[in-house]
Amino acid sequence: MARVDRLTRADTRHGLSDDTLKRLFLWPTLALLIVFNIFPLFYSLYLSFTDYSAIANKPANWIGLQNYSELLNDPQIWRYFRTTGLYVFASVSLELLVGFGLALLLRRKFAGSGIITTLILIPMMLSPVVVGLFWKLIYNPSYGIFNYLIGFPAGLGPDWLGNPRLALWGVVIVDVWMWAPYVMLLCLAGLSAIPDYLYEAAEIDRAGGLFTFLRITLPMVSPLLLIAVLFRTIEAFKTFDLVMGLTGGGPGDATELVAVDLYRLAFPQWQTGKASALAYIVLVIITGVSNVYVKYLNQIKQG
Amino acid sequence: MSQDTFGRSRRQFLRWTLAGGGSLLLAACGGATPAAPTAAPAAPEAPAAPTTAPAAPATGVSELTIIWAEWDPANYLQELVKDYKAVGGVDVKVVQEPWPSFGTRVFAEFAAKGQAYDMVVGDSQWLGQGATQGHYVELTDKFNSDLNGKALAPATVTYYAEYPKGTGKYWAYPLEGDACGWCYRKDLFEDPAEKEAFKAKYGSDLGVPKTWADLKNIAEFFTRPDKNLYGLSIYTQKDGDAITMGYQNTLFSWGGEWGDPKTYKAEGVLNGKLAVEALDFYRELYKFVPPGSANDFWQESINHFTSGQVAMGMNFFAFFPGLANEASNKYAATTGFFSNPAGPDGKSFAALGGQGISIINYVSDDKKAASLEFMRWLAKDDVQKKWAELGGYTCNNSVLQSAEFLGNTPFNPAFAETMQKVKDFWAVPVYADLLTISQTELHKFIVNGEGTAQSTLDTIAKQHDEVFKKAGLQT
Amino acid sequence: MPKVENVAQARTLTTARMISAIVLCVLFLIPVIWMLMTAFKPRQDVIAVPPRPIFQPTLEGFVSLFTQRSTLTKIAQDRLSKDPTLGWADRLMLERGLKIIGPSKYGQRLTNSVIIAVFSTILSVALGVLAAYAFSRFRVKGTADWQFFILSTRMLPPVVVTIPIFLMFRQVGLYDTHLGMILLYTVFNLSLSVWLLKGFIDEIPREYEEAALVDGYSRWQAFTKIVLPQAITGIAATTVFCLIFAWNEYAFALMLTSENARTAPPSIPTVLGTAGIEWSAIAAGSLLFLIPVVVVTFALRNYLLRGITFGALRQ
Repeated sequence: MARVDRLTRADTRHGLSDDTLKRLFLWPTLALLIVFNIFPLFYSLYLSFTDYSAIANKPANWIGLQNYSELLNDPQIWRYFRTTGLYVFASVSLELLVGFGLALLLRRKFAGSGIITTLILIPMMLSPVVVGLFWKLIYNPSYGIFNYLIGFPAGLGPDWLGNPRLALWGVVIVDVWMWAPYVMLLCLAGLSAIPDYLYEAAEIDRAGGLFTFLRITLPMVSPLLLIAVLFRTIEAFKTFDLVMGLTGGGPGDATELVAVDLYRLAFPQWQTGKASALAYIVLVIITGVSNVYVKYLNQIKQG
Repeated sequence: MSQDTFGRSRRQFLRWTLAGGGSLLLAACGGATPAAPTAAPAAPEAPAAPTTAPAAPATGVSELTIIWAEWDPANYLQELVKDYKAVGGVDVKVVQEPWPSFGTRVFAEFAAKGQAYDMVVGDSQWLGQGATQGHYVELTDKFNSDLNGKALAPATVTYYAEYPKGTGKYWAYPLEGDACGWCYRKDLFEDPAEKEAFKAKYGSDLGVPKTWADLKNIAEFFTRPDKNLYGLSIYTQKDGDAITMGYQNTLFSWGGEWGDPKTYKAEGVLNGKLAVEALDFYRELYKFVPPGSANDFWQESINHFTSGQVAMGMNFFAFFPGLANEASNKYAATTGFFSNPAGPDGKSFAALGGQGISIINYVSDDKKAASLEFMRWLAKDDVQKKWAELGGYTCNNSVLQSAEFLGNTPFNPAFAETMQKVKDFWAVPVYADLLTISQTELHKFIVNGEGTAQSTLDTIAKQHDEVFKKAGLQT
Repeated sequence: MPKVENVAQARTLTTARMISAIVLCVLFLIPVIWMLMTAFKPRQDVIAVPPRPIFQPTLEGFVSLFTQRSTLTKIAQDRLSKDPTLGWADRLMLERGLKIIGPSKYGQRLTNSVIIAVFSTILSVALGVLAAYAFSRFRVKGTADWQFFILSTRMLPPVVVTIPIFLMFRQVGLYDTHLGMILLYTVFNLSLSVWLLKGFIDEIPREYEEAALVDGYSRWQAFTKIVLPQAITGIAATTVFCLIFAWNEYAFALMLTSENARTAPPSIPTVLGTAGIEWSAIAAGSLLFLIPVVVVTFALRNYLLRGITFGALRQ
């Protein structure tokens, strides 16, 4: 901390003062975020206490906590939250594993490693809607290539998206396929920041591979890794277009994630008030989860 | 009036929140901010009493815009309205919005009281919202006089134009009639060896099914996974309305109903014996679909059929032109079409698709008048005849019954027959809530086999009643 | 451990890494390769059972993508086939029972996508790097709260924010404009951009700047000459992520644009024709849409993979 002070009070003999610079650097971003977020944020908060429907041509009636109590007393919503939780946990941890694994594999350069790394990034460059649509074709038990490649004759393999026990995993596989490269890229950046002399020192000390990994690699890479996981968690909670393309929330409600249900409330049903209430519940949960991550992140940075 | 207060307060709220930061942002963007295309929202009107379009001829309107879904019938309409330039001197543009976002797009426009579109070709289910929430212009006075309403098939008037049902209030002109029907492979049905084997197994002749029981037998008969051949494809899609539409075909044919249309009560009607039998039957049919059919709608049904995977396919008539053409269906020469068969009591009904055209209430009076003028032209017998020739599905009975129409395509006879026996889902303003419930519960039972037909319909009836109560429809 | 053995061991290890990397890369790319093949497949081959890897390539998918077509009845098709003025694309579609009735809006929407994605990416990275530097190096009052506020802007599900934003855009005239979408995507990307870049800048030791300041650099010079070059990996990664988001965003584009500023993603799924799903057109559209992002990523490849290079400086 003392170091920061020394730096902030650093030389201001010429050029802009640090204070001016700080304001110039920060305010454009903060102003833009405030302008664009305050209205939606407060307006939806207000709407969440009303029975408003954006198309009903009727004034919004204040109904207090009714939307919230209806939602929280609805066993279906709880099921959707459980499904979402499982989905987020499964896909984010798999992405972490696969992404980190890929990064470890690719961190040291070899002939063609650059090209391979870039090629692996392609899945995350595709539009989620298209990915959903296209994987539906890939998963089709008759003319899809997924079962064909894992060795099932046409028509006899599992129906990944039609079987209630498999469908969520079907979606998780696609999500991991799309986003593990994201984790990989951030891990690679983190890994490349580790100075070689640390490893050299470890080698001189005859440190084992596991020790080196736990004591050098992991701590050094974890700040960026956590940011990757944080953003993936937030995004996975909101997964919507991918599921709509793949299963539409089915079969039954096997893949009905909260964000999908939220969409139904908001759009085909236009229950704007209730949808806002659900969005706020989601927001509170995401905030809670993110807070845990952020605390952990700060701990690591200080430790 | 209350609307007015709210409209104003919402705008005040907006201004208030934007006052601080908004001005900052706008100042920052400077002159780059383009002028608002529809800056001033239309003066709010009392929702329950939308104005009726004045009948005076249009003045100064040179262009009209219709919004419809992105599909062939919209292309046919664009073709048809070219003729109107010469007659009415107005350019009519058909804007097409993709099916998955069509509803959202149109209702977002309503929410903003937008003036981007003058007319909408909307789903039959939208009538409740259009009528009670003030999005559509009422056409009651003009329907029979100006819009040639008497010439229409009665069922189409009920479902595409009238709201509330039975009151004689009209909000749309039935433009594109549509309903569920079937396509089938004549080459399989007429194969002598197949005919013989079928007779030996079921004791009846293989042919176009007369009853749903026949249809199931045929489906079972042709289900041969080792040959990649299956009995049929049916609607099962979870999102939207597909599985509900599919089930309605058996529900109505068994004599079941969604509820009592007068009291809006589902309990005791929807979970009655007939509806339960019809649902069990629909689930039986699901045994004979190709693998990977858990989320099927019209496109998947077409794919199954044209790839030779199924002997019969459920679909809306709107999609049959492609199946009757060898270029898009290699079995076209031997593809036949039939209307829904009869239920156990000999009743036969078909789930309704299709749309009516309405005038949007937020456009200027001039535009409303010009739109009405255009619809008056559109409803004429000879224009409807041309519409049918282009590929549109007219609801005009004189065209429907004409020998020329019936001979035009291989599926028109089945279409004309079907349009006399269509029935529809609820068209109340809360239809989307009802639909979400039926979609989820039906999908759980039909695809996943969760629960029983009885428990499924009990759940739907109970939840539908709650929605009706909350919406104030049930007293 | 003898040195020679170590070198041999390292070489085997590298080969093993290389082989597993290639295998994994191929695994990841199979769906993309399948998409590439589908883009050139005739309709019947797309839904062939079992899947067909070898086929007669056709441009049907691409023609479908750029044209608006109408299904022909048998009679109309026969009539049209006698027309001598038909081009090759018309003939190709005619064989499938379709008549080309005009160009599709794909081209225009692609242009919109380029404009919106490029400007919003530049804005979000530029603003992000400034804010990230300020958070990293200056003492900001309530810094944790501000940072969490920035993060929270990404937490509300877009489906719900669209309604207020829709009303707001209508009111201030940003609805269906490029500017509106650029600002919106910038706002949406800023949270990622600030957080990510702060993560990268935090990794750069302050000693360099301190040394530079002592040497008479101004703070601004220290920022541009010392910090920016060091943060290039972070900037490249952030650029790629922001670009990908802005390029592929679907929900906002659907609700907040119509004819003027609509981007390509909401129009790709629309090639679901009336004669079954047009897989080849969807695949073709997705591939064409993929190219610009791949090009940018390839161009930034060296920066992306260079890593944070202070290790070298420190020696």
